[in-house]
Amino acid sequence: MFFLTSIVDRPVEGKSGEAIGRIADVIVRMGDDRYPPISGLVVRDGRRTFFVSANLLQKLNGSARLSSSTVDLQPFARRAGEVLLRRDVLDHQLIDITGRRIVRVNDVQLTRIEGAYRVVGVDISPQALLRRLGPRAFAGRIVGRQVVDWTDVQYLASTAPVQLKVSYDRLAELHPVDLARIVDALSYRESAEIVAALDEETAAETLEEVSDERVADLLEGMDQERAADILEEMAPGAAADALEDLDEEVAEQLLARMEPEEAADVQALLEYDEDSAGRIMTTDFVRVSATATVGDALALIRSLEEVPDPLLAVYVVEPDEPSILRGLVRLRTLILSAPETPVTEVMDEDLPTVAPEDPAENAAHVLAEYNLLAVPVLDEERHLLGIVTVDDALAVLLPEIWRRRGGRAFA
Amino acid sequence: MMRKRLWPYLLALGPGLLAASAGNDAGGIATYASAGASYGYGLLWALVLVSLFLYIVQEMSARLGVVTGKGFSDLVRESFSLRQTALILLSLLIANIGIIVSEFVGIAAAAELFGVSRYVAVPISAVCVWLLVTRSSYGWVEKVFMVLSLAFLTYVGAAFLARPDWRAVLDGTVHPHLSMEPGYLTLLVAVIGTTISPYMQLYAQSSVVEKGVTPEDYRYTRFDVIVGTVFSGVVAVFILIATAATLFPKHVAVDTAAAAASALEPFAGHYAKVLFALGLLGASLLAAGVLPLATTYMLSEALGFERGVSRSWEEAPIFMGTFTGLIVLGAALALIPGLPLIQVLVGVYVLNGLLLPVELFAILRLINDRELMGKHVNGPVYNFLAWAIAIVVSLLSLALIVMTVVGWFR
Repeated sequence: MFFLTSIVDRPVEGKSGEAIGRIADVIVRMGDDRYPPISGLVVRDGRRTFFVSANLLQKLNGSARLSSSTVDLQPFARRAGEVLLRRDVLDHQLIDITGRRIVRVNDVQLTRIEGAYRVVGVDISPQALLRRLGPRAFAGRIVGRQVVDWTDVQYLASTAPVQLKVSYDRLAELHPVDLARIVDALSYRESAEIVAALDEETAAETLEEVSDERVADLLEGMDQERAADILEEMAPGAAADALEDLDEEVAEQLLARMEPEEAADVQALLEYDEDSAGRIMTTDFVRVSATATVGDALALIRSLEEVPDPLLAVYVVEPDEPSILRGLVRLRTLILSAPETPVTEVMDEDLPTVAPEDPAENAAHVLAEYNLLAVPVLDEERHLLGIVTVDDALAVLLPEIWRRRGGRAFA
Repeated sequence: MMRKRLWPYLLALGPGLLAASAGNDAGGIATYASAGASYGYGLLWALVLVSLFLYIVQEMSARLGVVTGKGFSDLVRESFSLRQTALILLSLLIANIGIIVSEFVGIAAAAELFGVSRYVAVPISAVCVWLLVTRSSYGWVEKVFMVLSLAFLTYVGAAFLARPDWRAVLDGTVHPHLSMEPGYLTLLVAVIGTTISPYMQLYAQSSVVEKGVTPEDYRYTRFDVIVGTVFSGVVAVFILIATAATLFPKHVAVDTAAAAASALEPFAGHYAKVLFALGLLGASLLAAGVLPLATTYMLSEALGFERGVSRSWEEAPIFMGTFTGLIVLGAALALIPGLPLIQVLVGVYVLNGLLLPVELFAILRLINDRELMGKHVNGPVYNFLAWAIAIVVSLLSLALIVMTVVGWFR
């Protein structure tokens, strides 16, 4: 077990100890290995740099010892699939999956496993920086390491200037909220790499939490077909927020590529201002006719292809005018009532409602004041447009923690 | 058709404009006004030349951001050895701390023009700035401050109304006149330092990175940089003309804010003081919030700390601690009793000018790194100009240091 910074610039010796050069960098092959193996060294001798294969390595710790006295002086050239530990990993950023954060590599841990030297972890401690800053003689006196195992980090392929096949499997372990925080904190290019690696559903959930401007940039930068697919998966309100920040022309193109039904939902929300009740409401709720019984209502819910989630109540509307709201029946009541009871008998009437133009905050206050789980949104003619649920309102009431980015532009 | 081709250019206006006009903050005003009052039009040529320098440096920073997709401190950490990184960041840190102090000094000066003690105004402003940045969205506040700082545009009107001798103005612009007199040299370095402040490059680069500008769209960004440089250059030139026309003939040195404000009298009459104080307050508050934040981001990004103003103390203790510490330090230094405000402002930019070469050489190495920049490295002529700037600035700084040290032993 040793560290990269303790071997760079150290001498490379031939079989019988003769000087061949100094270690300029360490080449690692990225691929399917859990711990990527070292495939060779970049050795510098005066002004020349050349490649030494890992097959010739007898010892690497402290100084490098080769199994032969002669080396082929083939000049070093970068190849696809290979990264240089000093140039592309040391001092670069990667994602610490278990720590759910972006870290900077202050040192790289290497060890010999199964006959090959491999990268096993990265040191992210400030002590590692101090060790490198001071004279080498003092380095040993500074104690403390914080090594993250290589299998627990996500290397960003965009860091290295070569084609790399990197596995992004472990990203899926992160909660979309954490992913969003990371996407917001990385540079645009790195964040695009992360989002590209996510499946559409996770990407949608992540983008819902990412700042609007960044979402707009990301959507604009990706393939339109994929952008449209992700927008379909997003909550209509979040999708509308993102589209609003896009170039109008691009937004139109994306809407045109979306499924007509989802596009219509989003377009309807775009009619309302950001942070209005209309923008955060959902149009996904269950209506039953005033002539129905409790049994009919339950049967209707069961027959739906996609049941709203959360399902809090069903909304009772005029039999011949489904946009006129009569009242609502809570799910609890539905379950407790006898199936043959008419819904009009168990429904709550005189509900508090909000208008779509009302600030979203008002809807949240109504919910809190009346102890409701959802509040209907009615237009001037008392037509039912949608409902604002507690979930949607909570996001408004809580300080907008991860939306706010203050001076991010200064990073 | 016309509209279609023009639109992307107009849309791209912003970061470059903001970054460059940020150069006209408290320290900028003090420096240009001092230059005008002490040497008339004698430093005008330098101002024009330095604006050209500014364009070249800002353009390189923006290009670094567009091509690499990374911020400056990111690139420095990834491309330089750790010791070099430490040196570069330290020089940027010192330069920025100086400017943070100068912003609070600007607030103090503005407050005193209104008759409010600086011991009241500075602590209150520090608390407000801290709260605004950490507890609310800074966006709209930023806009208010920016509008306030537009008050400095009145210098353009003041310059015309002061009826300057335009022939002398032209003469000062086209005839470089280099004097080795310490006072002249000091102001020259200060003019360079205030016009080309490191944080402007940090900002120009990070804003294109944030927006994800691609090399294909780079021409719009460059247009933004040009407009920003021209705008800031014009304002700076008129501040100098206004003070040169009104204060220089009367031999009034700009050693107080009130003296600098009096150059606005031909334009604003009795309101000169109020107008000047409002502009100074707006510009200083804006920068007093933005600079500590930018500096904190710069450090945490390079060192890999958890960052973001929306993080709590528990989540990001070093980030929040650094941010708070910078504001407290800036405010505290600005409150040292008996501090000569205007001299401090100029002094800060002399320091900036002295540290500038470190940053310039770092930019030059990065922008000529083929592995990083590909075909977007500097062309030979451009490179020659950029190196010339770095070397001239270094020589001037060196000359100033030598003169100062020699002065001590005389």
